[in-house]
Amino acid sequence: MDASVPKVDYTEYTNRQLVVIPLGLLAVALGILAVATVVTGTPVALGIEFTGGTEMQVVTTDSPAEIEATFDGEVQSITPIAGQANTYQLTFQADDADPIIEQAEAADYEIESVGERSASFAADSQRQALLGLAIAFAGMALLVALMFRTFVPSLAVIASAFSDIMIPLALMRLFNIELTLGTVAALLMLIGYSVDSDLLLNNHILRRHGDFYTSTFRAMRTGVTMTVTSIAAMVVMTVVAYLLGIPLLPDVGLILVFGLLADLMNTYLLNVSLLRYYKYEGIAK
Amino acid sequence: MKLHLKKHWRIWLLALFMVMSTVALFAPIGGEGGILGPADDDENAAGSQYTNLQFGLELSGGTQVRAPFVGMTVSGLEFEPDEESEIESVLQEELRLSSGDVRADFEEQSVEVFDDSEVGNTTRADFAAALRAAGFDTTESDVRMGVTADTRAGVEDVLNERLRERGLGGGTASQVSAPGQQFMVVEVPGANRTEVINLIGDRGQVEIWALYPGENNTYETQSLLDQSDLADIGQAQQQEGDTFVPIRLNEQAGARFGDAMRANGFDEQGGTQCAYDLERSLDENMDDNPGRCLLTVLDGEVVFAAGIAPDLASSFASGAFDESPSYRTTTTSFEDARELEINMRAGALRTELDIENRGTTFFLLPSLAEQFKPLSLLTGATAVLAVAFMVFLRYRKPEVAAPMLLTAAAEVYILLGFAAAVGLPLDLSHIAGFIAVIGTGVDDLVIIADEIMQQGDVRTSKVFESRFRKAFWVIGAAAATTIIAMSPLAVLSLGDLQGFAIVTIVGVLIGVLITRPAYGDILRILVLGDKR
Repeated sequence: MDASVPKVDYTEYTNRQLVVIPLGLLAVALGILAVATVVTGTPVALGIEFTGGTEMQVVTTDSPAEIEATFDGEVQSITPIAGQANTYQLTFQADDADPIIEQAEAADYEIESVGERSASFAADSQRQALLGLAIAFAGMALLVALMFRTFVPSLAVIASAFSDIMIPLALMRLFNIELTLGTVAALLMLIGYSVDSDLLLNNHILRRHGDFYTSTFRAMRTGVTMTVTSIAAMVVMTVVAYLLGIPLLPDVGLILVFGLLADLMNTYLLNVSLLRYYKYEGIAK
Repeated sequence: MKLHLKKHWRIWLLALFMVMSTVALFAPIGGEGGILGPADDDENAAGSQYTNLQFGLELSGGTQVRAPFVGMTVSGLEFEPDEESEIESVLQEELRLSSGDVRADFEEQSVEVFDDSEVGNTTRADFAAALRAAGFDTTESDVRMGVTADTRAGVEDVLNERLRERGLGGGTASQVSAPGQQFMVVEVPGANRTEVINLIGDRGQVEIWALYPGENNTYETQSLLDQSDLADIGQAQQQEGDTFVPIRLNEQAGARFGDAMRANGFDEQGGTQCAYDLERSLDENMDDNPGRCLLTVLDGEVVFAAGIAPDLASSFASGAFDESPSYRTTTTSFEDARELEINMRAGALRTELDIENRGTTFFLLPSLAEQFKPLSLLTGATAVLAVAFMVFLRYRKPEVAAPMLLTAAAEVYILLGFAAAVGLPLDLSHIAGFIAVIGTGVDDLVIIADEIMQQGDVRTSKVFESRFRKAFWVIGAAAATTIIAMSPLAVLSLGDLQGFAIVTIVGVLIGVLITRPAYGDILRILVLGDKR
């Protein structure tokens, strides 16, 4: 297996050709999110932390249909837990857990965990999580702008970070992964990871001597190693945590894998072409 | 190989932090417990038996309840200390609330009611109108949901006291604020949901009422005592089928109680007979000639009723009771006696927590949570192995890759030491944070390695330092953005996310300031053959 980072010959492609794939994908992602918002009311499916409701993990030999019949109210979802036989994650829209717990106990289910979140509290969380994401993104953008103090390079970093968040969000919609506190954390982590490789590229191209293509190749050698290593770690974490039935970690891992893949594309197609434009045309003017 | 203190100070600094971390993790100093109670709470303790690490609910099991305070506040009013009670009585009248639900405080120049539209019937407009009736110029927009800081602190103290009294070691109640709202978060490792809600859900206002026939033989009640009148509270006991809590009143309350007993005929010879039926309401009982009773009232509800024993009656008559005012409050079961004792000791909550409408609860079976500890460790370890594999593939040089892994591991180790030192209870969100830190850590180490080992000699310190600085620019900039991105979460109160953000920020700081620079020095020694 050859582990060296492939050398891409960027001279063969025009900026327009390079930009078309990432921008196209970003447009598709935004389109998916827009359609989802129109159809379902929210860009991504929200977990009970953001909608309110009750979530319960039970152990029972009953089949899903029997479980459904055990509860008076509607059971919103029944998901078997990987790695643990006869264990199910149930969600309910009702945010009063007491009757649900009573019914589960009456049916002799073993209750492994119960989480209950009132709708008004959940609405608050939703507002705060959005606020947190917005502040985090704005803070990042401001800091990047201060570091480079030029428009195009700053824009390159900020645009790819934006796309690195939007593409995983669209994938969440497609794979029906709910937005939970854990996945919000993963999206925020993406801001950090995404900026890493972009900064590296900008730094090599703008602050070092030498030819554009050599600098790009050097930055790529380091940057691709970084991102691929992180992807490997996250894939392994996702798979292992899923098989072992640990909550939270698989969602975080999967979102990061999506985001890091998007980052590879955005950094070395979008960011590179913006910087090339800046270096050869933006400054010359 | 010699390590120069001055030249390789980065490695020395790393070593120092490793030692400090080891002390924080394993030394038996002050660690046992930390936020936990005394050692006899072992069964409920959420700490680890090998290290000083604390585990949160997701890794130890138990119950978490998070709920806002019931009540509304208007502050910035102007009134004198002697106006407090007048304001309170106007509000009670206007809003039809009991005396315990209204509080005017001169010190804070604020008025609060412990009732709102979610729990009870008082709306903000009602409250503002009632204050206008009390002579203030208040509008609805002056009314803030929630209660004063003083009340919140009081509730926190009482809840912690109740947890201690109940022997729920490691259980904590603490205030959390989110923009525009304050919450109480109660976490009790090892306890189930019902147990916790029962313990914290009620105001716990204990009163002793006298019930006696007044004029025309119609029955009357009179509230005689509450928690503040008690000088001493004994242990709940069981003797000859009776369960009771022995209490002693303070001097003033003793005299007042004795007077009330004598005035209403409780001192008759041979004691009083009480036929109060707890199954029926107070009014029904009052119509049914129950006899003279002492009622134990919890949050306005009669929980026990008893007549007066002959010897107690005679001590009322002789006035001996006034001198030594102690007696037994009897209950129906030992369980009730225990609850009564806890409420008497801990005192009443000034306001309740709205768990039902605006709260969240979370319960995780302790045995399941226990499994998560080794499993999440395993997950982390496999992620590190994946990183190791990739790094070896890329560099093919153990002297580059091995220190890289060790450095990443050292980072996590120091971070764990930090968690142990500050008593941060670890949860799954923190584990995710650790993995995030390993991720950014390895990224940075790759940057350092590539930068330092680029073509050309690194014979002189000058070249090394220059390359190191170049690498550090990117690392520092990336770290700064990560910290900026995480900081809103560290401040906002989003539960799980706060822990994650704190771990990531601290981890990045440790990485950038301590471990990652040390890796540069290690590479210099191992790879570049710098032995001088």
